[in-house]
Amino acid sequence: MKTRSASILVALLAFLCLYSSAHAAATLEITHPWIREAPPSSRVLAAYLSINNPGDAAITINGISSPDFESAELHRTVINEGVASMQHVKQLDVPANGGVMLEPGGLHLMLFNPKRMLAAGDTVTLTIHVINGTCITVSAPVVRQVDDGHSQHHH
Amino acid sequence: MSTPEKQSKTARILIVLVLAVLATAAGIWSASIILDRRVNLEELEAIRFPVARQLPPFELVDHNNQVFNEDALRGRWSFLFFGYTHCPDVCPTTLSVLNSVAHRLQDLEADIRFVFVSVDPERDTPEVLARYVGYFNGDFIGVTGTEQQIAQFTRELGIMHMRVAAEENTSDYLVDHSASVLLIDPDGRYHAVFSPPLAAGKISDDFRKILEAYR
Repeated sequence: MKTRSASILVALLAFLCLYSSAHAAATLEITHPWIREAPPSSRVLAAYLSINNPGDAAITINGISSPDFESAELHRTVINEGVASMQHVKQLDVPANGGVMLEPGGLHLMLFNPKRMLAAGDTVTLTIHVINGTCITVSAPVVRQVDDGHSQHHH
Repeated sequence: MSTPEKQSKTARILIVLVLAVLATAAGIWSASIILDRRVNLEELEAIRFPVARQLPPFELVDHNNQVFNEDALRGRWSFLFFGYTHCPDVCPTTLSVLNSVAHRLQDLEADIRFVFVSVDPERDTPEVLARYVGYFNGDFIGVTGTEQQIAQFTRELGIMHMRVAAEENTSDYLVDHSASVLLIDPDGRYHAVFSPPLAAGKISDDFRKILEAYR
């Protein structure tokens, strides 16, 4: 039941996003989105994904939203001289014919105050807003991630 | 010289040569074993302090509401990580890596504990910590205290933490914090530090070398 209404919602949002982007030259491709499963009572969760821009012009992301959370922001983890801090990224340029990776230890979506308990296997809807008024909506699975740390990239 | 005498002389030379080669080989082999036994601490990625500093007395509380003080750090190795439960990226990732470290070191007979110390005692009560650390590993310990107790403990260990005001919702503030993992030895001394980027393989390998050198 939950999956079906989520699918309908994604389809609706995707339709709305596509409709508004009818005049856009190229759109961002979002792949491998995932939400890190967090301890049951967590109020903040992280989402990661890959963004590809196949077009000839840079595309600027200027917002994130999700119907499953009260608010969402794009952040970058910065570790400077051993101290970790989070920078709120208000605008992110995705270069022409290029891409950006959101992954642990780097850029990530910060999702505040989930509207329901989320566990591995659940699905979350994420919308990436572009500065020209268009948006891209994707479904992201909640995943229990095992980290060994050996494959981390650092930007 | 007659042929039989020549043959026995050649045989003697051959025997001596073979014995010489065997002796040299035996010498090299036993020397390499002796050299291997000496742990090469220069290969560590962790920083192991030349003089491990004794920690002064402190008083915190664990996720079971039990006192957590300097006695808790004696008689066992402790990996300490400082973070907060409202941290979505660095802390879950690090605790997941430390869980991998715990699994990798399972074969060791050493008593090892993993401790998550909150730098956000206002929101991280023992009850909150119990739910949080238990998710990553049932044996992990969560520790909190008053602002003052946490400030004193972090200061002693050179751990930095600072609240960062959230832009809209004031209850969603973030905390900047040191992302290193600290190693306390069974004498309760600050023994080594693992700096980010943290990898379970590196941490485990380094710990085995540190343990070997400690014995």
